Amino acid sequence: MTEAVRHEHGGCWHCGEPVPAGVDIRAEIDGQPRAMCCHGCQTVARLIDSAGLNRYYDFRDALPERPEQAAEASSRDFLAWDRPAVLDHYAHADCDRLYRLTLVLENVHCAACAWLIQRFVGALAGVAEIRVDVADGRAHVRFDPERCALSEIAARLAALGYRPHLDSPQAGVARNQTERRQMLKYIVVAGLGMMQVMSFALSNYIGAWQDIDQQTERFFHVISMIVAVPVALYAGQIFYKSAWRTLLQRRMGMDVPVAAAMLLALFSSIVITVLDAGEPYFDSVVMFIFFLLLGRYAVLVARQNAGQLQSALARSLPVQTRRLTDTGAEMVALIELASGDRVQVSAGETVPADGRIETGTVMVDESLLSGESIPRRRSAGERALAGSLVREGQMTLEIEELGQSTILSGIVRLLDQARTFKPRMARMADRLASWFVAFVLTGATVSGLVWWQIDPTMALPVVLAVLVVSCPCALALGTPVALAAAARGFARLGVLITRPDSLELLPNITHVVLDKTGTLTRPDMRMAEVRAAAGVDPDRARVLAGRLERVSRHPVATAFARYDDGAAVTAAEAVTAAGVAGTVDGVEYRLGKPGFVGEWLSAHPTEPGEGQWIALATRERLLAWFRVDSPLRDGAHELVAQLKARGLEVWLASGDRRENVEAVARSLAIDQVRSACSPAAKLDLVRELQASGARVAMVGDGINDAPVLAGADVALALAEGADIARTQADLVVTGKDLSRVSAAFALAPRVRRIVRQNLAWAFSYNITALPFAAAGFVPPWLAAIGMSASSLLVVMNGQRLGRVRGKRPKVPGAAPDPATPSPVGSGA
Amino acid sequence: MNIIYVLIPLSVVLMVLAIAFFFWAVRNDQFDDLDTPALDILDEDEPTDPPRSNGDAGKDECGH
Repeated sequence: MTEAVRHEHGGCWHCGEPVPAGVDIRAEIDGQPRAMCCHGCQTVARLIDSAGLNRYYDFRDALPERPEQAAEASSRDFLAWDRPAVLDHYAHADCDRLYRLTLVLENVHCAACAWLIQRFVGALAGVAEIRVDVADGRAHVRFDPERCALSEIAARLAALGYRPHLDSPQAGVARNQTERRQMLKYIVVAGLGMMQVMSFALSNYIGAWQDIDQQTERFFHVISMIVAVPVALYAGQIFYKSAWRTLLQRRMGMDVPVAAAMLLALFSSIVITVLDAGEPYFDSVVMFIFFLLLGRYAVLVARQNAGQLQSALARSLPVQTRRLTDTGAEMVALIELASGDRVQVSAGETVPADGRIETGTVMVDESLLSGESIPRRRSAGERALAGSLVREGQMTLEIEELGQSTILSGIVRLLDQARTFKPRMARMADRLASWFVAFVLTGATVSGLVWWQIDPTMALPVVLAVLVVSCPCALALGTPVALAAAARGFARLGVLITRPDSLELLPNITHVVLDKTGTLTRPDMRMAEVRAAAGVDPDRARVLAGRLERVSRHPVATAFARYDDGAAVTAAEAVTAAGVAGTVDGVEYRLGKPGFVGEWLSAHPTEPGEGQWIALATRERLLAWFRVDSPLRDGAHELVAQLKARGLEVWLASGDRRENVEAVARSLAIDQVRSACSPAAKLDLVRELQASGARVAMVGDGINDAPVLAGADVALALAEGADIARTQADLVVTGKDLSRVSAAFALAPRVRRIVRQNLAWAFSYNITALPFAAAGFVPPWLAAIGMSASSLLVVMNGQRLGRVRGKRPKVPGAAPDPATPSPVGSGA
Repeated sequence: MNIIYVLIPLSVVLMVLAIAFFFWAVRNDQFDDLDTPALDILDEDEPTDPPRSNGDAGKDECGH
């Protein structure tokens, strides 16, 4: 499959992206020259090849992200990690003086990534073990800091394109592991127990037709009890405990009726077996527990993979920072900083803490905090905020607020508050289930009392028949089983569900609010058009521009980066808010805003059209114009069209400038637009719509959207964006393709339909069977078969959601691939 | 039919053994990494990884 994907569009051997025109970069892989799209890929591919690990290209089943500046990764970037304070804080030592440490890695996609890391980093002398968890992108390292510096390990990871971040030394990871292991044990015990007990029960059901003798039947009952009671008590623990906890808090939790049904059925079965009063229901109890556990496990894994708040914060902050002391500058880790310290931050670096600028003027990109995509100028006396990226210039910053007291972590906390405003569907379902349990209990008591008057010997069988036939198993199973299967189906489409409730809400949505930057558009810029002057080769102009822009950290430079062929540029200089200048082959060039370039030319150049134009010129003449824009993601048009076709009202809300937002809205035919919105303004918009009776879905990305995501009825986030959104969103869309969002909207009604079918079936079955059982027409063994069959039907109906027809997700991170059918078409 | 009085308790004993074996496997990290071991078999080279899990599990307990 990988081979097919890569060769179909003749893309880069390493990352699969198309090789841009005018670029001819090759790397020898296994003796074969392979085309590369950029120097980043070339470096990584050469590294993999030289380490003899090129089998990675055969193993992988997902394509990696295009590495950014991987070539520059060196242990210098992580030097501060070798400081004792870091080891003390983040790692802990074994008895044999090996340190254990957890790193959060970016871009881990598949098992081949884990394999590559294990081979490449594990080969370092001094690294005793490195284990990569593909699901949550964490690497667990055991190493000897005296033989192998942590910075060396980090540099190796970064060189492969898996940029590491220190993970807070919380018990979180260990707790997750224990939780998962415990769950696995419960599931296996319940599963094996279920098989055993079912086989005993089946023998009796068949035996009932073939005149089984009393003694054998009794033997099967007893052995069922011997197996089922410990299994049910052990594997059902989490339900009993959770129910007990909610009861202690005087609430009716979801687990209360479930645990009550389990214990009641178990207890009555024991009574029946001991008194030899009829058919026990051990098989039903154990099966019930097993299927519920499967659902819980799926939810647990989804929740754990959603990532932790702390590591998301760590990702937005730099690895190290340059602290200024009386004796000079030193690289320190963030945990060593204190309020009042002075740090130096240069272009391309991220501000480590909130502070006031002492000296220097910089252009900072605060898009992580405000959503504003254009860098702002900040000079001495103004504040700079943690998490913002310095695009140009250099500054000395006096630190005021650190860590938890920064604006960045304030935003993170805002999320938690916003989240409590969410309507809780679960509460209603719980109330329904507990009412039903109360109803069944009353019914059983009443019919027991009535039969006591008529025929005392029939009282117990009738009570049990009533209890079993109307055991809300199918009722309780219907929703979780369908949701767990839906989670699998969605995962196949590339959509992860973090809050199953959202699937019930999604079909009811009336308004969709879309974010622009990073959601509808890609985070990087693109060269949309080249207009070369007469006699100038456009390809040559592009390559020239690529070389010149190498020094710039401005977002515009991302549009040119892929044309850079790596040739030497001398006297290269980035001029703040103007452009770049440099000398190539002895000729001086300027590239940038018309005003900047025009300083050299006699006539001030005028932009040839609408949009953002960049000029390239020598001292003598203008060579070319480049139009740059943020390209729309694949599937953006289809998404908007599909949402409108569903009768939904589509809004565009962005922190970006008005003209940019409106241009995007026009091209996508979106009528309702809000531009220059702060995160708070976006949240207000959502609240406003909700107040007018709308049910709002928010599609966003990035930390700045997180409060809005938490405030919306249903939140969808794109996984490419900052991880924080991932934890807050109900649905996480992986990859770069918006058609997956459309697919989620298309599949959700099916989920709701199947959940409703299940509930309707379970309800009507129970309601119909109850009078018959109360009237004494249903012997308990028939009631048990009926209940099992009913549960099985519900389970099988739910499983249909796991089989999404003919849709294979695109390889995450793959370039647009016309050969892969879009999930939209077949999902509708 | 009397044989079932032997065979069925035997099946229960086997189930208990299976569960015990599974618990042992979970405790020894066999279920922690379900992704990469599948690739190891495709690798023709000598294993370069240091021996994992079983040997280390004992070491973990020292000191902590």
